[in-house]
Amino acid sequence: MSVSAIDPLEITALAKIMDELNYYQLLNVAPESSTTDIKRAFHTVSRSFHPDANRGLEGELRYQCGLISKRVTEAYCVLRDARRRKAYDHKISEGDNLRIQLAEARQAHDIQRKAELCGATPQGRQFHGRAETDLKAGNLAGAIQNIKMALTFEGSNTGFKAMLAELHERKKALS
Amino acid sequence: MAEIAVGIDLGTSNTCVSLMRDGKVEVLDNAYGERTSASVVHFHEDGSVEVGNSAKAKVIHAPAQTISSAKRLIGRFYFSEEVKKAQAIYAYEIVEAPNHGVRIEIREEEFSLPEISAMVLREMKQIAERHTGESVTKAVITVPAYFNDNQRQATKDAGRIAGLEVLRILNEPTAAALAYGFGMGLNQRVAVYDLGGGTFDISVLEIGKDIFEVLATCGDTFLGGDDFDDRILDLLADDFVAKYGINPRNDPYAFEKLKLAAENAKKGLSVDEEVLVSIDDVLKNDKGEAMGLERTITRAEFGQLVQDLIMRTFKVCDEALQQSDLTVRDLDGVILVGGPTRLSIIREAVTAYFQQEPRADVDPDEVVSMGAAIHAASLVGEATDSMLLDVTPLDLRIGVAGGLAEPVIERNTPVPIEQTRTFTTFQDFQESVQIRVYQGDNRLAEDNVLLGQFEFSGFEPGQRADVSIDVTFEIDADGIVNVTASDQVTGEAASTQITLSSGLDDAEIQKLIEDDIADRVATAATPEAVVAEAMPEAVNPLVAAPRVTSLFGDDAEDLSMDGQPDLDADLDADLDADLELDLDADADMDLDADLKIGLQPAATPRVVSKPAAGSNLNLDTDALGDLDLDSADLESMDDEELIQLTDEAPPEITQEIPLDLPIKDADPAIGLDAGDDNDFFDTSGADLSDPEEPVNLNGKE
Repeated sequence: MSVSAIDPLEITALAKIMDELNYYQLLNVAPESSTTDIKRAFHTVSRSFHPDANRGLEGELRYQCGLISKRVTEAYCVLRDARRRKAYDHKISEGDNLRIQLAEARQAHDIQRKAELCGATPQGRQFHGRAETDLKAGNLAGAIQNIKMALTFEGSNTGFKAMLAELHERKKALS
Repeated sequence: MAEIAVGIDLGTSNTCVSLMRDGKVEVLDNAYGERTSASVVHFHEDGSVEVGNSAKAKVIHAPAQTISSAKRLIGRFYFSEEVKKAQAIYAYEIVEAPNHGVRIEIREEEFSLPEISAMVLREMKQIAERHTGESVTKAVITVPAYFNDNQRQATKDAGRIAGLEVLRILNEPTAAALAYGFGMGLNQRVAVYDLGGGTFDISVLEIGKDIFEVLATCGDTFLGGDDFDDRILDLLADDFVAKYGINPRNDPYAFEKLKLAAENAKKGLSVDEEVLVSIDDVLKNDKGEAMGLERTITRAEFGQLVQDLIMRTFKVCDEALQQSDLTVRDLDGVILVGGPTRLSIIREAVTAYFQQEPRADVDPDEVVSMGAAIHAASLVGEATDSMLLDVTPLDLRIGVAGGLAEPVIERNTPVPIEQTRTFTTFQDFQESVQIRVYQGDNRLAEDNVLLGQFEFSGFEPGQRADVSIDVTFEIDADGIVNVTASDQVTGEAASTQITLSSGLDDAEIQKLIEDDIADRVATAATPEAVVAEAMPEAVNPLVAAPRVTSLFGDDAEDLSMDGQPDLDADLDADLDADLELDLDADADMDLDADLKIGLQPAATPRVVSKPAAGSNLNLDTDALGDLDLDSADLESMDDEELIQLTDEAPPEITQEIPLDLPIKDADPAIGLDAGDDNDFFDTSGADLSDPEEPVNLNGKE
């Protein structure tokens, strides 16, 4: 008994061009879509391509449908997660690849986050490190001095800014 | 006409089969009118096999020939904690098979766990065939959401051995949610709290009309109703020791008596404030005098005994909610699954934790098999529009240098999914790499479950780091793992369906199917008189379910089987009688009646049914390529010369290929310290490695 949710021609066509589509195009959503929109789109596309909806397919068609289904899940996993989505947006803006592996997306985010916390430039990292050392030694003024230095190299580093603000708060509380 | 496909909830303690016909789901009762059957297999002296509640009653007299809780052992390695625990608890002989497999030895014959489970499944198949009058060859079988790939594979194998094409391995909480929300047009977020006999699962789902999306699932495969029994058992045994100075745990018969008494006391406590456990004859002393035990257990006392177990379930719930980015206030409903959730102590704790009453209209013993039946019907084309979107419960990892396992697909990622990682060799002209796949949440490889390993050599050897090997990991909709390695240059590929190295290989399964091992399961005949006579005895008030769950909007009568007397009437009368547990091993005939577990007269006529289904097997072996692992492969790996890296071998799996440290060839531009191996795969030190950079695979020379 044949059970298939979608025209076989559509499966073949999509399988052929799948690698040329970014995740937004694959899920048929706009790049600025909300997470809710993305979830809804994932549900809609799954209805057509999930293996459960296509048990009747055999051979090459079944294989192709499986590929699409797995790619759709991948797209959903990346786009529903703000951090992964950011890493993906960055990647496709550079234009080198339309896919991102999940672990890679997470790692890219972690790198970015670590840069925010510890600095993206050698000097930034150096002065941030000194600020941390000062802080551990209880030298609040020194820590402020050093994080300010770090900010001269990385003026837009939100992590540094937050640290400076916090140090100022502490100083205020002390005096 | 649509094909017949049943849903089977293969539980640790009880198994239940359901069928969806003409848009309605019915739980199929067995020949004795019972809607669930004990997942117990008893081997008679003549080699024939009895399954179900009557088999369970045999445990007192023949504990070594009566296999219960096989689900706790299926898909496990012999050295695992669970196997050790089972050896301490169960009287049957658990022995080691090649490659750390587990076998059960009965009367000098060895059986694998899939074979034992296949016998239970065969019984379900026969029940379904009795109801439909047709051969039943297709089924959806449920497993705890937290089951790993080994356990899923082994369960699927059990289905095949039983003569069933397993349409889908379905997660129990997902099945429960489907039964709960099917056809209701709900828009809800629900939690399914599934405390079975041996496992605990919590799943958080979003139901949007007929789409059932699992947001997160977490679990503990070492926590279940059996552990609650054990606490009472310990109490009773300690009492006995205090009174007589003899440990009844050392005597298998006494132990079984206490175990049954504990189980019944637990059930009693879900109805009454206190129960009296009274056993005349736990053991006999030297003079042949009976040594008995009498003990009152109150609900409060029981509560204290199991407090920590209940708290453990909520820790897992915390995790699931956190993973789905929800709080208890976001939930519209809580569904309870599993017999132990009938305990008032659990219901109260669940209500407090989730800040709402759990749904009362879902039968915890039957809802899973009903959901499985709904899904089975949809898979064979009986019109249902429901769609299940499930997740993988555990991180899928690959073994890398330094004894670590790097995640490739994180837990709670939707399935089906495929991910590809690029690896490189770490030695010049290395000819092959070992690919080892794990499941678990630990960075240390040895703390995870090894799913399988294979060697890939289909690449052109070259300078280290010049060779790029793509390893593709796939998890299918059953949650089953498939791994493929291919070389980007040669295009050569090798793949394997990861097979449990201690499990059965395809040839063994094929042989079991041909031998029709499950055919030993005798099925009970059902003369009306026998059924009617058995009926009042048959009712265990805590197992006998309300006739119908209202969730399908059917009138209660719709689902009750024609010709079966209504069981409910006897319930109340039986309850009180049940609480006093009068165990007397000498009075064999009385025993069953007293325990309320002997659910059928011993003299029930039996016939052995010849399976008509054997020829229908769909042996969908996804075995691919030439790297399919079998025991021979594993053994031969032993002998090869390997680079020994760590002094500490992983426990027990001594034939593992020790890992090596790659690292040296990192791109200096990204500031990777040579030798700083631990950070290489550490996500916390992720700034040290470029995600684009291939990761080294350990290998051998």
